Amino acid sequence: MTPTQSLLVVIFAPLLSAVIIAFFCRQRHGLAAAISVTAAGAIFVFGLLAILATGTDVVHASSAWLHFGDFEVNKGFLFDDVAKTMLIMVAFVGFLIHIFSLGYMADDPARGRYFGGLSIFMFSMLGIVLADNLVMIFVFWELVGFSSYMLIGHYLNSDEAAAASKKAFIVNRIGDLGFLVGIVYAYWHFGTTNLSEMGGYVAGNPDLVKISIAALLMCGFIGKSAQFPLHVWLPDAMAGPTPVSALIHAATMVAAGVYFLIRIDFLFPQEVLTLIAWLGASVAVYAGFCAYGQNDIKKILAYSTLSQLGYMAAAFGLGFPGVALFHLITHAFFKALLFLSAGSVIHGCHHEQDIFKMGGLLKKMPITAITFLIGTLALCGVYGLSGFFSKDAILIAGGLSNTPIFYLLTLGAFMTAGYMGRLFWIAFLGQPKSEDASHAKESPLTMLVPLIVLAVLSVAGGWMGYWPDFLGGLIKDNLDHLHHMDHYDAMHKKVLIFGSAAWIVGLVVSFFFYGAGAKEDRLEKKAAPIYGFLRSRLWFDEVYNFYVEKIQQRFALLLNFIDVFVIKGIFVRGSAGIVGLVGMCSRSLHDGNLHTYVYWFLAGLILLWAVASGLL
Amino acid sequence: MTVGLNAFILLAGLLFAIGMFGVILRKNTLVIYMSLELMLNGVILALVAFSRYNGTMDGNLFVFFIITVAAAEVALGLAIIVALFRLRQSVMVDQLTSLSR
Repeated sequence: MTPTQSLLVVIFAPLLSAVIIAFFCRQRHGLAAAISVTAAGAIFVFGLLAILATGTDVVHASSAWLHFGDFEVNKGFLFDDVAKTMLIMVAFVGFLIHIFSLGYMADDPARGRYFGGLSIFMFSMLGIVLADNLVMIFVFWELVGFSSYMLIGHYLNSDEAAAASKKAFIVNRIGDLGFLVGIVYAYWHFGTTNLSEMGGYVAGNPDLVKISIAALLMCGFIGKSAQFPLHVWLPDAMAGPTPVSALIHAATMVAAGVYFLIRIDFLFPQEVLTLIAWLGASVAVYAGFCAYGQNDIKKILAYSTLSQLGYMAAAFGLGFPGVALFHLITHAFFKALLFLSAGSVIHGCHHEQDIFKMGGLLKKMPITAITFLIGTLALCGVYGLSGFFSKDAILIAGGLSNTPIFYLLTLGAFMTAGYMGRLFWIAFLGQPKSEDASHAKESPLTMLVPLIVLAVLSVAGGWMGYWPDFLGGLIKDNLDHLHHMDHYDAMHKKVLIFGSAAWIVGLVVSFFFYGAGAKEDRLEKKAAPIYGFLRSRLWFDEVYNFYVEKIQQRFALLLNFIDVFVIKGIFVRGSAGIVGLVGMCSRSLHDGNLHTYVYWFLAGLILLWAVASGLL
Repeated sequence: MTVGLNAFILLAGLLFAIGMFGVILRKNTLVIYMSLELMLNGVILALVAFSRYNGTMDGNLFVFFIITVAAAEVALGLAIIVALFRLRQSVMVDQLTSLSR
């Protein structure tokens, strides 16, 4: 089997699974789950085969798909080392999430639809990973949007889920508008949308890089990866089933935005990179603050995702796409682990999501609690765990090239440790604080196995030395580059001290401030205004609602008025009216009386005569 | 005694005018039809007179054609009028206005 054939299997297995489930297995839940999990397994196996078969070579297979005049859209794979690294991560984490879903969704009445949704989600994401041109990326990009809409809104009966799925879809659309314009602009500018061709042009003539193209394409990233100011959809997306949150937040969707940036990093001039770095750093800190105002275990994790995406954006903006990819991969491991553990907790506590109603779970659900702790420590960047290496590299990159961003990110790391500590101490220690929590049991094996595997990866995922040669080439290059920069050693020590101090202080302070297994939020009690401020999340949602309701809606009403009265009333109805009037007049000539016709005939004759003789 | 061309033309014009007024003013389809024939005859007379005074045969030739065609036309027209009468029990123009809508 050639690598191209393996890749075809990788991309079409989930599509086939989704189609079969959509048409035949909507009610046959067990079968649907089996098909979907098999497809996910096939993705992983064939992805691995393709990678092993190609080694470090770049596979580029492409053929014509559509012609529009001179414009040709290709369908093709660009299977380079970034795509390989991403593919193996998506396939593996996705597969584990599929397995976890078997246990988590066992009682769901619409499992068939759910597993079909997972498959189409995997299909869309793999399309983005493998696509070799912007148009194809955009197609799959939109498919990811559709799949997320479908899965976030899985609980059809809940208004919250319906609103959240709509919000995710619409907010993404705003970013996608910029993306689409960017593609058109890029085609106009380069004459192609093919990634490697554009890369070749830019490498030959660096002046071809345009700020406007980069900024427009960045809009797509901002929407998909939930950066300022389009981050509002991500916390709401927690309304979906927990494995979906894991999938969206770890392996797909938000990762797609960062991956897309890494894929087209040659198009970015310094100005846009700096903007992205600042955006990322500010989101990292902002989301850290917001997380303190949340009591829902999933919402806290959602804000932590937001903040980690900020780190990735910052790494990219500082000119280290490989480091961003590194953090993307390690983050995928520990964030998938955290979400799945949270799912296990929620499953054990009968769908209780408020951390102040949990407590004592360390004794009730030891494996879940320990894996959650490992995920937390990896997220905080504890020395030796996967999150440490990637976060460390980002902080060093910040320290060496942009000091304010370095301090922002360190603050972000401190915030991260604080809210993750708050979550862990309150939910897992102390005594159970509700009926549901006191009856919590450890989850079934289908849920624990993915947790354990992910916990191992969260520990070991960052040990670059053990990565095989054909994976993570860009990461290694970037890290190497970082190591050979001036003042690296001094900065490395500084980051080690700052980073370790951040997580130790964060965890310890949160432990003593909130207390193990606290019954209520001490910050809310002692400093209600500060808590209220954190809870408000800088009023983004309120501002957007105000804008939509008071400005956009009024503008829409004005447009509606113009549509109804001017376009419909005057142009459409008006032209019909004029034609009707002419018809009425000419109809009155047609009275059926022979003599009238004779007179008209005579009149016509006279007219003809007059014209012929030159009188008229 | 020879009759001048003007007299022929005058007679032809008169015939044509009588026919035309008949078409315009009369209500009976049959009479209108006869008036039409009268107009045709006025034209024929003019053609024959011109032919005679020019000493050529062109006009006469036309006249034969017209007489032939008119004969066929009369047969057809009368048949239509008879069919119309059978259908409507009337041949008065002011009662035959069903084409108005």
